[in-house]
Amino acid sequence: MNRTTGIFQRLGIGLLVFFAASTWGGRSANAQGTPTKEYQVKAAFLLNFVQYIEWPAASFAKADTPITVGVLGADPFGPILEKTFQDEAVQGRKLVVKRSRQIEDLKSCHVIFVSKSESEHVGNILTSLNDSSIVTISELDGFAGSGGIINFYFDDKKLRFEINPTAAQPKGLKISSQLLKRAKIVATDKGAK
Amino acid sequence: MKLHRKRNRSVTTTRRSVASPPRNRRWLLQFCVCGAFMASAAIEGRSQDVEPATRPSADQQQPEVAAAKQPDEFKKMSLDELMNVEVTSVSRRESTIGQSAAAISVITQDDIRRSGATSIPEALRMVPGMNVAQIDASNWAISARGFNNNTANKLLVLMDGRSVYTPLFSGVFWDVQDTMMQDVDRIEVIRGPAGAVWGANAVNGVINVITKDAKDTQGALVTGGGGSELRDFGAAQYGWQVKDDVFARIYVKHADHDETVFRSGAPGQDDWSMTQSGFRLDGQPSPDNHYTLQGDIYSGETDLANSSENTDLAGGNILGRVTQKMSDGSDVKLQMYYDRTQRDIPATFVEHRDTFDIDFQYHVPIGKQHDVTMGLGYRYSTDAVGNRVITFVPDRESLNLFSAFIQDEIQLVPEKLRLTLGSKFEHNDFSGFEIEPSARLLWTITKRQTAWVAVSRAVRTPTQLETDLTIVAPGASLIGNKDFDSEVELAYEAGYRIQPVDWLAVDIAAFYNNYDDLRSLELNGTIFSEENKLNGQTYGVEIGSTVQPTEWWTIRAAYTFLNVQVQTDPGSTDVSSESLEGNDPRNQYYVRSSFDLPYHFELDCTWRYVGELETQGVPSYMAFDARLGWHPTDQLELAVVGQNLFDNRHPEFGTGAAQHEIERGVYAMFTYKW
Repeated sequence: MNRTTGIFQRLGIGLLVFFAASTWGGRSANAQGTPTKEYQVKAAFLLNFVQYIEWPAASFAKADTPITVGVLGADPFGPILEKTFQDEAVQGRKLVVKRSRQIEDLKSCHVIFVSKSESEHVGNILTSLNDSSIVTISELDGFAGSGGIINFYFDDKKLRFEINPTAAQPKGLKISSQLLKRAKIVATDKGAK
Repeated sequence: MKLHRKRNRSVTTTRRSVASPPRNRRWLLQFCVCGAFMASAAIEGRSQDVEPATRPSADQQQPEVAAAKQPDEFKKMSLDELMNVEVTSVSRRESTIGQSAAAISVITQDDIRRSGATSIPEALRMVPGMNVAQIDASNWAISARGFNNNTANKLLVLMDGRSVYTPLFSGVFWDVQDTMMQDVDRIEVIRGPAGAVWGANAVNGVINVITKDAKDTQGALVTGGGGSELRDFGAAQYGWQVKDDVFARIYVKHADHDETVFRSGAPGQDDWSMTQSGFRLDGQPSPDNHYTLQGDIYSGETDLANSSENTDLAGGNILGRVTQKMSDGSDVKLQMYYDRTQRDIPATFVEHRDTFDIDFQYHVPIGKQHDVTMGLGYRYSTDAVGNRVITFVPDRESLNLFSAFIQDEIQLVPEKLRLTLGSKFEHNDFSGFEIEPSARLLWTITKRQTAWVAVSRAVRTPTQLETDLTIVAPGASLIGNKDFDSEVELAYEAGYRIQPVDWLAVDIAAFYNNYDDLRSLELNGTIFSEENKLNGQTYGVEIGSTVQPTEWWTIRAAYTFLNVQVQTDPGSTDVSSESLEGNDPRNQYYVRSSFDLPYHFELDCTWRYVGELETQGVPSYMAFDARLGWHPTDQLELAVVGQNLFDNRHPEFGTGAAQHEIERGVYAMFTYKW
């Protein structure tokens, strides 16, 4: 039994080395910076969301003004956003992407995705957007309860989203019932700014 | 110094001793050392949804990745199709524990399911730093960072905040700690002293088993199967919505386990069966308010060697918890539970125990830099022992434990440096007042790297095993020591976590622990007594990592190194120190490779190596488990699991003729939900 154990021990160690080696080998074969599947799916969700939301007329200067999707903070999407929005049109409008670390730069956007990196500043961010008609989206615990409009969360391994309709109404945003019925509806927490 | 205490607890270990009749002093010594582990002072764990230095979130991560797709494929999908896509990532698991200034690991529901683990001890094997040894069909020796034994007493174990170690010997009877494994949301394991938050006896770690909220287990579920070692098992559960914000579930389960074998190959006569039923109710009348009511009852029996009778096990518990968030960002939690256990080992001993516990916690952020949590608790535990071969003097004991703790997380440099200071204050009936302070510092080097250091003091309070256990046998006797004191640990720990790329995360923890007043077994003439005349040092390293080379392939690996040294104090006539050093393996590793295959198949292969236990004469072993699962629809899952496949049997713990060997086993199961 000892000899068998010895063989299996070596087999085990060999496999460990094999896994480690194949990890490096396997990864370099993949494209550098391939975004994870999670963000590919979230980008597809963003594309869907804009199709179910109506902005007040004043949000767009002309009939063909594009819909601007802003990413605030550390960008988890990378080029996947552009790839997802490429050749797409919503209500006759194209989609463009803008990125910045400062909320001031994104005030002309129609949608702002708030990155996890901004988790400590959510309150200030949402307050500064109070008078705008921007759809705020994030993936932070409690974002919708704090006044954000859409928030991603996981149910086991599947992506879900919650929507705060009372945060959207005063902004003149109309969210289709098709989207609302697939969402978890959330109200603004008492005491949240 | 010590108040008079009465405690009577049955010593499960006596059951094993009865199987092999006393032959010489060495046997009695081992018996006493084993028996000595039983009993423990009231250890107050803080019941709650697990909050070590940080708060791991409720997020799951479990990849169930299908073949990798191009972004184009996703953008063509409708909302409903997107909501059906399954996503996994290393990041999600790591993000929750990345901010912890402690050696913490999280076992998720997917880890449990895919590893083929059918019990909590089996699930614990994958955690670095845990020493999990199966003694026989229903008994386990589980510890972290040294001093493992069938009555290991330095680990605190909680089920949804309910402490499950027995005060008899400060250890856990693993044969009655069960739940629907499908309902386990996660198991959080903290290695190292968590005394400041969890109280005494969390000397080497805390294990918290957290079950899912009732609203996450709606609908019907039926599961069942059978095999060679896990002979047969079945369970059924139903969850429903009681009214607007109130959800409930009930379950019933039963399992029969086959016997193991002795070293000689003779049948181990330790087969066991258990039936358990329970419920959980969760209500959330508003986003700020949540209440839970849950309970279980169980009844089972284990075969007793060389006897036509069985050991009877029975018990039940009920727990209620309310949490409320306030408008100023603070929150309060109140929890109460009642727990009853009955253990009847014919001809050896009987113990019935009732425990009542109430716990209150208040958490409040103060300004931008301080985050304070404090708590108060009281536990009352009373038991009655029927003295037979093993006697406890007195045979009826009621214990009171009062506890308070306070902890402050201070942002020294916001988002860069965080200092956590805390301490637990307890008063128990054995050693009086105990104080367990701790300081932890977390340095967030970058968003992908964190490092931490900690210094803590923890105690393992005296138990009935030391103070009341009395054995009189020809040629040797053991008298309880009413002056037995707490064991004290000073722990120095450090750790480092890095996630250099999204698909690789590594977590390293190292420690050096200094122990004083460890329990010694002194021999004077023919009389044994338990005193505090040993001291010890342990040090070790634990490494855990997760690698995801491709969308469909994930590897989890853990490595543990441990060195235990024990010395006698001057004037000691101890005879047990050598065996204490050899109860833990020096090296262990665990690797599980998970593959998501086409056509909804999944394959998991696990290799684990455990080093030898020198003084026990248990050789090192390597075990291989494999699970093949198939989930053709969302509702149905089938699986075949093989355990210990390379070896027809091997021992993991135990000495001499009483040593049991764990056999190779295969089982198949189905799960159907609707």
